[in-house]
Amino acid sequence: MVWDATESDALHERARGFVRAFEAGAPMPESFDALATDLARFQAAHVAGYARLCAAREADPSLFRSAIDAPAVPTEAFKVSRVAAFPQPLTMATFRTSGTTLGARGTHELRRPSTYGRAALAFGQWALMQGVSPLPNTSPVLMLAPSPKELPDSSLTHMMQLFAQTFGASPRGENDYFIRDGVLELAELDARVAEALVAKTPILLLGTSFAFVHLLDAVEDAGFRLPQGSRVMQTGGFKGKSREVDATELRKELSRALGVEPHAIVSEYGMTELSSQFYEGTLQSESLPMGVYVEPPWARVVPVHPETLAPVADGEEGIARIEDLMNVDSAFAVLAADRVRRVPGGFDLLGRWPGAAPRGCSIAVDEILGAGLAEA
Amino acid sequence: MLANGDAIARLRRLLAAAREVAKDALLVPRLIESTGLSRQGVELGLARYLEHDATDDEVAALVRGVMPATSVHVILSANVFTAPLRALAVACAASSRVSVHPSRRDPVLTCALVENASDLGLVLTDATDVRAIESGEIHVYGRDETVLAVKGAAHADVRVRGHGAGMGVALVDANVAVEMAAHAIADDVVAFDQRGCCSPRVVFALGGRAKELAEALSRRLRAMEERVPRGKLDESERRESVRYRETMAFAGEVLEGAAHAVGVSRQGSTCLVPPVGRHVHVVPVASVEDARAWLRPIERFVVLVGCSDERLGRELALASHVRLSPLGRMQRLPFDGPVDLR
Repeated sequence: MVWDATESDALHERARGFVRAFEAGAPMPESFDALATDLARFQAAHVAGYARLCAAREADPSLFRSAIDAPAVPTEAFKVSRVAAFPQPLTMATFRTSGTTLGARGTHELRRPSTYGRAALAFGQWALMQGVSPLPNTSPVLMLAPSPKELPDSSLTHMMQLFAQTFGASPRGENDYFIRDGVLELAELDARVAEALVAKTPILLLGTSFAFVHLLDAVEDAGFRLPQGSRVMQTGGFKGKSREVDATELRKELSRALGVEPHAIVSEYGMTELSSQFYEGTLQSESLPMGVYVEPPWARVVPVHPETLAPVADGEEGIARIEDLMNVDSAFAVLAADRVRRVPGGFDLLGRWPGAAPRGCSIAVDEILGAGLAEA
Repeated sequence: MLANGDAIARLRRLLAAAREVAKDALLVPRLIESTGLSRQGVELGLARYLEHDATDDEVAALVRGVMPATSVHVILSANVFTAPLRALAVACAASSRVSVHPSRRDPVLTCALVENASDLGLVLTDATDVRAIESGEIHVYGRDETVLAVKGAAHADVRVRGHGAGMGVALVDANVAVEMAAHAIADDVVAFDQRGCCSPRVVFALGGRAKELAEALSRRLRAMEERVPRGKLDESERRESVRYRETMAFAGEVLEGAAHAVGVSRQGSTCLVPPVGRHVHVVPVASVEDARAWLRPIERFVVLVGCSDERLGRELALASHVRLSPLGRMQRLPFDGPVDLR
């Protein structure tokens, strides 16, 4: 079908309607399934790969009645194929996954990155910024991550930049990022934290799990106290870039070293192939337990059976099928590789499936990818 | 240390033992259990791929190719079920004193071979502490992490020869009849359900015939499923199968059977390795150079290139350690040394 931005733009507006309603505390403007099935039909019409996937699974988009009727695109497809409904010259932002041995990096092209931004800011504010005075807009947002200049195609870095520019007081651009060429700039971070301590302004410290491990290793037993009321957002795994630390242990260690209450250390779950993120809701409500991720109203995480891809019962483990209404021009349903389980209030993130010891001497796919992670 | 003649005679006795083992019907149920292959898969392995019929030239070449050692300790950690014969032969050619630690998961053939060989210098052991070995060599066959662990733990005076996991690739040039190539590749895929390091996982198709080749290969694999059913896939293999099928349904095309999948990528696609268990990834390429470029990120895992044209095969084989084989004989390499020459 010939590309016409009008249909896509209308879908973007409907997607943003969810964000606006959320920000206003109003009811959602339409049902999740109504927009989801329209997105699936639009994507089947304009993304050749998605049309092929639907055909291979004998799924007729015109008959979709609910989101779950639409096949999900595996994250691997983003590595080997373009997943975009629009012509390449219209790409306004390109995000890429980190590399593996196989060389190919998952690529997510966005035509209207502002939809991504609106959603990220709205739910980021909900998860990280509300409920603790005097934020927002009086405190610095600091990043234990490389800057967008160093990692221009990282969706995480892009999101952090949005947070710094929107939530942070007096953002200092490159100087708000404290990982340079893979090295933690502890002295500079220490100086910025000292300023905040003197001014008695809490900070929001954003970073990857492995960067926080490096911080813990650097400060050892001395600790690295943040101003009272500060919050921490940590995300991602370790990918061979630091020692691995159990999530509960990492929270405990960070709380001790940074002097931040455990509930103010919020884990985020996101991925390059998505336009939405998920957070622990611990700053929102004490009834939301640590380790449970909450979805915004425009995204769902559905655990599916890893072989049949059918949804599993609440409480059972499955592969994360993520339905993201903000992925207007790519794949609204993405099949991630992570294991999840529905629990009251959200979902548990259980990591990757443990690989059984392979039989024989044929190289396993995991081994090939694992070799890449170790080298990354 | 063995004289050449003694070593050759010893290997001949080992091969004779292997012939007896191959006839032992009582082993089949145990091998089905330990390998996960179907009955027909096990019988095919014993009849066609256990190299008890190695030629004199091959045996002589194997003996010539090994370095003598005072003793050899063989660790079989992960290998296809017929592989212990070659591993024991290499060790027995190198030293009069050989101990072998069979795979915990798949010890059947190793134990049967050692028992039938009645060779006082070839013994089974359950010793797992490689630090206790103070001289000679260790030959370890397993995953890369196992090989690295043994190398890390071994005594400084002990030489460790590691044979890790790998994969095979095939190249179908424009001069080969598609049906013939498909039959040959299907033979190589069905053996051991692709769990061997020689098994082709990726097939490059020259001459604009990728789709045609994939269709022929899928038909042939479907037909072979009748004769040699695929064995059991474990959970992780089944999960990977689903992801590969879904990915290729999006990124190209996937021709699916109940017990196989042939993915056809699009021209210019990036590297993607399918899982084991009769999954073949067919890649259209305009030249061998294109195939080499596609393969470059994973070249270190390639043990074997199958191709009907030796010159083209050698062009594709990126390193001198990569073995070459005609299509259809990728699982029956000359019995002249270890399969993995990396």
